[in-house]
Amino acid sequence: MAECVHEWKMTNRQFGFVVYERCSCCQVVRAYYSPQDTWDDYMEEGHHWSIVENAQTFRFDLECVECGVYVDLSDLLGLMYCTSCMEDCEVEIQRKKYEAERTFVLVGFGYLPESMSKPISEGKLQILSEYFNQRRDTSRSRIKIIPNSLIPAISRCRGEFIHDVGMLSLEPPGERKPLF
Amino acid sequence: MTTQELIDLLGLKALSTFEHREVNGVFLSDMLSDVMAGAKSGNIWITVQTHKNIVPAANLVDVSAIIITNGKNVPAETIELASKHDIAILWTESQTFDLVGRLYSLGLATK
Repeated sequence: MAECVHEWKMTNRQFGFVVYERCSCCQVVRAYYSPQDTWDDYMEEGHHWSIVENAQTFRFDLECVECGVYVDLSDLLGLMYCTSCMEDCEVEIQRKKYEAERTFVLVGFGYLPESMSKPISEGKLQILSEYFNQRRDTSRSRIKIIPNSLIPAISRCRGEFIHDVGMLSLEPPGERKPLF
Repeated sequence: MTTQELIDLLGLKALSTFEHREVNGVFLSDMLSDVMAGAKSGNIWITVQTHKNIVPAANLVDVSAIIITNGKNVPAETIELASKHDIAILWTESQTFDLVGRLYSLGLATK
């Protein structure tokens, strides 16, 4: 039997929030998806978490319309684009390489800080790239999604997530502060 | 219809530099997450958002152009990033509702 050439569709879409928090004691940043907009400070296992930023986002899974194989992407926090903040960063090196081939590089982030040591698998990111390439005219350009573990120093990263920041505020959005 | 024809017919101002291409439908939203979830390749995306994050969102789903309505000021960094990625940013003083009506009368709709 021939192997399925998967045709991906987005499924199980859930709109919610990405919450970025910083511990006021050790300064570690964590980020996760939440169905609710959360703003309260709280203590947990020795950390004192305060909100850095909330953004509206959505999460989803992928399913092949041909064979029904299902890809759970509940561990995907979001996609970040590189702003070339560190010349020696592997993301910047890959961005330059792929952009010369008309391929737009994005970084697929898992929840933080866990995903810095255990990123979303290459296999899942490959499928995610395939999905977005199937949605586009690839004769013009392509998409490549690479893991966040390629960033050597997250505290110096000034990349920007493609999230909806400040959409629930009555004030006009100001300059976005660095997350890390 | 192409982006060039759209510019001529609607009197839009091109802010970025880009290659003209076919337009096949319209997507209207001010949320990047909506665009990532629902816009289709070749759609024009109408929004009042002008932050530079609109460029990677547009690029990700391969829209044919972003039209900024209501005469919103578009930052130079947004235009620069769009030009770098061959994304058309078109601009009009028209209100979103009026522009959508004119697009509809030209035969463009949600695809």
